[in-house]
Amino acid sequence: MGERATVRKGSATVLLVAFLLAAAAGFAALKAATDRVVRAKLPGASIIYVPSGKFLRYATFGYRALAADLIYLWAIQYYSTPTIDDRFNHLDHVFAIISELDPRFQDPYEVGALIAVQEARNVRAAFAILDRGAANNPDQWVYPFNAGHVALMTMKDYPLAEKYFEQTMKIPGAPEFVERLRANAIFKKGDLKTSWETWLDIFERAPDERTKRIASNHLYNVKATIDAAALEEAAAKYRERFGRPPADLGTLVRTGFLGEVPRDLDGQDYLYDPATGKVTTAISPWKR
Amino acid sequence: MADAIRIENLRKTFRLGFIPKPREILKGISFAVREGETFGYLGPNGAGKTTTIKCLLGLIRPDAGTISIFGRPYSSPHSREPLGFLPENPYFYDYLTAREFLAFTAELFGLGRGERDARIARLLGLVGLERAADLPLRKYSRGMLQRAGLAQALINDPKLVVLDEPLGGMDPLGRKEIRDIIVRFKDEGKTVFFTSHILQDIEMICDRVAIIVGGRIVKEGGLRDLISEKVLFTEVTVSGLPPQTFKGLGESVSTQGDRVLLKVYDEACVDEVVALVHERKGRLVALSPRTETLEDIFVDTVTRT
Amino acid sequence: MKIGAIAGITFKEAKRDRVLYLLFFFAALGIVASRVLAVLTVGDRIKIIKDVGLASISVFGVLMAILIGTGLVYKEIDKKTIFTLLAKPLHRAEFILGKFLGLVLTLLVLTAAMALIFLAIVYAHTLTVEGGLLVAVAYIFLELVLITAVAVFFSSFSTPILSSLFALAFYLIGHLSWGLELIIRKMRPGTGRTLVRALYLVLPDLENFNFKTEVVHALPIPPGIYLSSFLYGVCYTAFILGLAVLVFRRRDFI
Repeated sequence: MGERATVRKGSATVLLVAFLLAAAAGFAALKAATDRVVRAKLPGASIIYVPSGKFLRYATFGYRALAADLIYLWAIQYYSTPTIDDRFNHLDHVFAIISELDPRFQDPYEVGALIAVQEARNVRAAFAILDRGAANNPDQWVYPFNAGHVALMTMKDYPLAEKYFEQTMKIPGAPEFVERLRANAIFKKGDLKTSWETWLDIFERAPDERTKRIASNHLYNVKATIDAAALEEAAAKYRERFGRPPADLGTLVRTGFLGEVPRDLDGQDYLYDPATGKVTTAISPWKR
Repeated sequence: MADAIRIENLRKTFRLGFIPKPREILKGISFAVREGETFGYLGPNGAGKTTTIKCLLGLIRPDAGTISIFGRPYSSPHSREPLGFLPENPYFYDYLTAREFLAFTAELFGLGRGERDARIARLLGLVGLERAADLPLRKYSRGMLQRAGLAQALINDPKLVVLDEPLGGMDPLGRKEIRDIIVRFKDEGKTVFFTSHILQDIEMICDRVAIIVGGRIVKEGGLRDLISEKVLFTEVTVSGLPPQTFKGLGESVSTQGDRVLLKVYDEACVDEVVALVHERKGRLVALSPRTETLEDIFVDTVTRT
Repeated sequence: MKIGAIAGITFKEAKRDRVLYLLFFFAALGIVASRVLAVLTVGDRIKIIKDVGLASISVFGVLMAILIGTGLVYKEIDKKTIFTLLAKPLHRAEFILGKFLGLVLTLLVLTAAMALIFLAIVYAHTLTVEGGLLVAVAYIFLELVLITAVAVFFSSFSTPILSSLFALAFYLIGHLSWGLELIIRKMRPGTGRTLVRALYLVLPDLENFNFKTEVVHALPIPPGIYLSSFLYGVCYTAFILGLAVLVFRRRDFI
């Protein structure tokens, strides 16, 4: 009697476990099936409600930094989901929130700017993000530096790059190559006189041979650019007068278009090609 | 005919606490309750009375042993169909009225609506709760709750009634009423199984008793078999005489004013004491022979184990 | 029906506990929020009213399911009312199912009433009855049923506070488990990925019941998902209830 009851009890447990396994198999299969159904996605719908960081500062109570972390983690996932077509629409806003919540949180500025430049192709957003980084962290040279880099390489806005590099140089701890980048930006901007003075200054203050060499090469390059421009201008005038290009540079001195034929920083002659009218250095400025 | 309750070699060990410490509550209990008898289950606090009842009702799974109710194993809910149970200090849904609560219990037994209402009315009359029937149980006194509990235990007209400390917490009048109801069960042919520590009650209404101490049944049998009619000793109260007078005849237990209480074991000595009192011009205040009571047996067994 | 009797008593208890008064609170919140938000935002305030309405139906429901559900079985044991119940010819499974169904009934009444209030508020702003919103409400209810089962499950062996935390964790996991999919996509094939994949299939996915965005923006919902989400909810609920019965059958009531 008692044993029979125990047996019945046991079989009830077995039945129950079998039921559990069947139910588990059922819901796992259904989960996979549900996943296969493609649901309409509303692109970007998920961040319509992202409020301003100022508001969130209060709404997150004491957990501001945590909220910043979470939004940052979410943002990385969100911006690396290619299926959301218009995901970059609120890029600046999202990273602004993170910086409002935790102004000293460093990574989001750099990563945000990177996403803005590389993925979103939105340099304005990148500058906005980096400017906030610089404003909130005046001791960090990396934000104006990155901004200068973007201006120099991506935008080719040399005056802007010069401005950012100058800003970078003022921050203690900034690497010394920044001033060379600035000098280069000035050169690219076309302000050859300032460029010459800047490089000369760098050359004179150079702490080691390598820097001296780099500065010297740049000085060579600046002088060559100035000289070549003067020579090419004289050659163009000659050609205007006589209807043909000068045979060589000496002709320009003899005909009075030029006081003397300049030489490069190493005392070498410039090369002149009568066919194109171009003046070049005999060797590359970077391989002296 | 199957026994109403048959328990064989019931064992239960609890493992309680954050770091489980085994505590053996029932150490192999066996007894049987015959159909139609009123059975008293005695024991000091913590002896395992309530644990036994909870095993019987399937609230606790025993580690070993078998329990059957009218021949059905305890583990089947069907075994509880002919059973009515009143827990110790009954707790019910206090937001229900007694009538609603009884209707709910009737539903658990699958009673039809018509039968249900008639039975509820009858039971409310039986336990004397007609006037409070539509008050929520929250407003009930302890005694009233006990009556409501009794009513719910009887909703299925059970063949076996299990009562855990049914007389605890009742005033003397209420106790008498419950006692009368239990006696009436016996007349109706119901089997009653109940625990109590009020021994006079058990003595008055039980056919048989079992005494449990420390998780073991130490005594079981008919009340007549356990209690002998033999006079154990005679208590004699005398006044006006010093206790030394009765040296050798009886043991003086106490003196109060000029009264002396003597315990006389030998029946022959009782006459001598009475004669001596007359001779010395003392006064005999009281004389009562003491036969063995359930309490003596209980105290005796409990102190011996 | 014994399960019905227990369900009825559970519903009655919720009713007497004044749980349904929350509806007034909900209605007030809905009306005030739709007014205030309409002032605060520029543009589509109907959309915001719908969003807030659906979100509060969901949040209220989940709170109710967890707060009532986790006390459901525990209270019976704590107050010792369960002794009288289980001494009746009642399977323990019937007890659990009855308790579960009683709370589901309570939540059904609550959700239906909240949905009506919600539709009324939307009607007051658009002057159209948008029955489509009820699809989202129906699946919110399905989610509540599952959460209730989870609450009852934890309640059958744990204290209300712990159970509430567990049930809340279940809810959060259920809404975040889609993140595992992103992890799976980034993992290389191997044992690790198989394990995460298995975890992904087993963990609850409550986003399957989330049709709020689709409904508010009137996006098309692929018909297949109605059935598979519904069956998923039913299966998961059955699983949790089975687990609850399994645990509850082994319990001693001291």
